[in-house]
Amino acid sequence: MSELANCQHNYGAFGLNILSDIPLPELPVHTSTDFSPAAVSITASSHEGWPSLEANEHSTPSLQMAAGDWRLELEGIGWFRAHAGETLSYERWDDSVSDRDLRTFLVTSGLAALLIQRGALVLQGTTLVRNGQAVMLLGAPASGKSTLACCLQQEGWQLLSSELSVVSEQGLVWPGLQQLKLWHDSAVALGLDWAQLPLVRRGLKRYALLPEADVSSQAIPLALIYIIIGGNRNKEAGECEIQTRHVKRQAVALLRLRNNAYQPRVYRAMDQEANLFLQVSALARRVHIYSLELPDSVKRMQQALEKVDLLIAGSLEAKPATELEAAAEAQEEAK
Amino acid sequence: MSTPDNGYWYLASYPKSGNTWCRVFITELQRLAGEETPEELNLNLDVETGAIASSRLWLDDQLGINSCDLSFAELDPLRGRAGESAWLFAEGERFHKVHDGFQSPDSRGRPVVSTAGCRGVVYILRHPEDVAVSLSHFFSWSLESCLNFLLDPSAALVPSARHGGHQVRQHMGRWDQHVLSWVDQQQLPVLVMRYEDMLVKGPETFLALTQFLGLPDDPSLVNQALRNTSIESLQKLEDQVGGFAEKPKGAERFFRSGRSGEGAQQLTLEQRQRLAEGLQKVMRRFDYEGVDEA
Repeated sequence: MSELANCQHNYGAFGLNILSDIPLPELPVHTSTDFSPAAVSITASSHEGWPSLEANEHSTPSLQMAAGDWRLELEGIGWFRAHAGETLSYERWDDSVSDRDLRTFLVTSGLAALLIQRGALVLQGTTLVRNGQAVMLLGAPASGKSTLACCLQQEGWQLLSSELSVVSEQGLVWPGLQQLKLWHDSAVALGLDWAQLPLVRRGLKRYALLPEADVSSQAIPLALIYIIIGGNRNKEAGECEIQTRHVKRQAVALLRLRNNAYQPRVYRAMDQEANLFLQVSALARRVHIYSLELPDSVKRMQQALEKVDLLIAGSLEAKPATELEAAAEAQEEAK
Repeated sequence: MSTPDNGYWYLASYPKSGNTWCRVFITELQRLAGEETPEELNLNLDVETGAIASSRLWLDDQLGINSCDLSFAELDPLRGRAGESAWLFAEGERFHKVHDGFQSPDSRGRPVVSTAGCRGVVYILRHPEDVAVSLSHFFSWSLESCLNFLLDPSAALVPSARHGGHQVRQHMGRWDQHVLSWVDQQQLPVLVMRYEDMLVKGPETFLALTQFLGLPDDPSLVNQALRNTSIESLQKLEDQVGGFAEKPKGAERFFRSGRSGEGAQQLTLEQRQRLAEGLQKVMRRFDYEGVDEA
């Protein structure tokens, strides 16, 4: 890896030593001396020099993939390539593209693709730590993970990984992205001085919240997984309970984890789907999984968190399955 | 490049114009034509005709990124690259609901939906006076606000960049701009369906739909599907599932009245004149009567 000579920045995230030629402040600086993680590189290179790719049928016009090779073309931003689980290359679209623009996609989609190539289990989730135990919040983009995570930070929890979380075979979650992204309305509702926060990217009304305290450099045992689901439309306005329901059926838990993998299409296109099934199956056996329904406002979320402990699932309001949920689970299982 | 499937279609409309009725009809027709016919349609489990084109989850799957990291101005030109491949876990033919106009001011002259491999679009339209009344119930807006919305060239669903959501912004523009953006575009075959014809001339209108979409077109099957998806049947099915999943929080129910002519009854003369003044050309083109301009 001759490009490594240009990599002045050294990070330790997702169990990897990440050497980069551009600064990535979202990642923890590599400090650990008690193990030697595999090194991967992030470097600029001309996409015209990348070898031609025979993309498979799971590719899309933006996302070209084959086993061990992932290419993303984002008009106006750049080209990205993850290869063989070792190198992440990029080229900016033009000189107007900032480092911030590039790294937004390098540390999310790019690193996730690289990790999937390495056989890692990458979930679309934010993980927080308290008392040496980790809780993972899974859910679709804009489902409330970051807002809930920020509320938990205000309650003393520490962020371990945002947006994507990597779980080891032993059920440990590695430190990862250290940046919570908050929409303007959430930042206001959380009482943050949003005018002082950096934008995630120019043109967005989304702010980057970086941790003040040092983050853990060690992987942390995963205690519980919460899958955030959409609010109950028939819920009374003003209710401020956080409601949970234990996902007891293994088959349903497995499918929900699979659906919350980071970019399931990427797993399939890079021949890692069987591996994903094995990994989520093992995880579903190891860790209890709950669906979690949030109150419909940040204030009520904060009030609810004062009364419950997410490390003790039993402290939350248990929600009986509605007829619809029971039927949906049966349908999921049948699939 | 496309994931092998049976192609895809769009069911496009301005909101509250009969799009959901159309999707439920297609689902019911396929259910009736299937080898194993379950007892009854479950509105919340069975109506899976394909992702709405503005679904963030769908766009993220297609684009390979978290679309929250793009501004609307960046996202709209890229949206046309989403859709050529099937949703990862989808099976069979896809009928994507769309409320966006065919293009947006940010899409750089490109469609905001994929056209490659698309087999066609069904455009459903409804008298704008009735759309105003239906929007009012759906969004819990005043009739005046709904009129302003129908006449606003920058009207959009999910327009705020200050918070996220499960759907991205959908630019629609004025009601007449929305209609023309779809019915006059030259890139996809179009079948135009008027809501009023779906009500009054159901059998032939829905038969034409099934033939356009290449669905089973046995008239007895079409008529049975139509009976099973009448407004009374849909209200009963909605009650059975304790509320349709697509109903907004403030609305009492999703399938409310389904009638035509409510706008003429509930809007004031001045309000009807405003609509006519703004939309008359397209209203006339599709045989919608209004009142004379003030």
